[in-house]
Amino acid sequence: MPRKSGELVFHHEWERRAFALAIALCEQGHYDWDEFREHLIASIAAAGETPETPNPAAPGYYEHWLRSLERTLAAKGLLPG
Amino acid sequence: MSDHAHNAPPNPYLEPRRTQAETRALEERVAKLEQALIEKGIVSRDTLDHVAEIYENDIGPMNGARVVARAWTDPAYKQRLLENATAAIAELGYSGLQGEHMVVVENSANVHNVVVCTLCSCYPWPVLGLPPTWYKSPPYRSRVVIDPRGVLAELGLDLPADIEVRVWDSSAEIRYLVLPERPRGTESSSEAELAALVTRDAMIGVAKVEA
Repeated sequence: MPRKSGELVFHHEWERRAFALAIALCEQGHYDWDEFREHLIASIAAAGETPETPNPAAPGYYEHWLRSLERTLAAKGLLPG
Repeated sequence: MSDHAHNAPPNPYLEPRRTQAETRALEERVAKLEQALIEKGIVSRDTLDHVAEIYENDIGPMNGARVVARAWTDPAYKQRLLENATAAIAELGYSGLQGEHMVVVENSANVHNVVVCTLCSCYPWPVLGLPPTWYKSPPYRSRVVIDPRGVLAELGLDLPADIEVRVWDSSAEIRYLVLPERPRGTESSSEAELAALVTRDAMIGVAKVEA
């Protein structure tokens, strides 16, 4: 646990880019943040990880993020086919 | 949960989960999505770069630290902050996504507040930036609700038994910020000096501010 505030926010460039996509498209009005968040909550819940049952095969946080972005865009008809 | 404690077991939630090949596949998936959206004219490369830069450079716990230091030094501001945090935080120029419905909870000699998002990772971005990895991990999200004292102790914060611990779940609309106690011995410190003492962890409520 880092004790200072200087922790890395993104560990991979793709995480940074997936993050920026979700924010930018929301700020441009393509969806409400709550729509994205519902997908994020559902994705994390579906993985079913608890403190007692870690599962390294399950998606990491930004994989949930990316999946939620794709689902949000699909629901809006914005996902390129 | 802590790489701070010497005898803590390894935390599988904080280990890298993907091989290089899997990471490359994720990179390609994001790149394809990004490229398609750019080609369709839905978003521009400049906008994406700008957003990432803002969240990496301009938004972070230094914003929240300014809010806390102002509250410590200006009683009228503190009152406004506790009554309408969103407006008081906006006075200092901080607002935006995930900061629309802010509530500030104040620590005292009798009460310690700690913030979590049990369902995902809700977090007050305008004042704290993006959440640290441990905040998003299952151990913190579920255990801090069940055993806040135990989790705080693991994070190095031992609270006396007579202090009431309040856990705030950010998973609704509301985003919480903890107003930590001003450390003793800082009576003559300036607002800027105080702001430099305030850490992200103290504003989440998993640490105290040390002078």
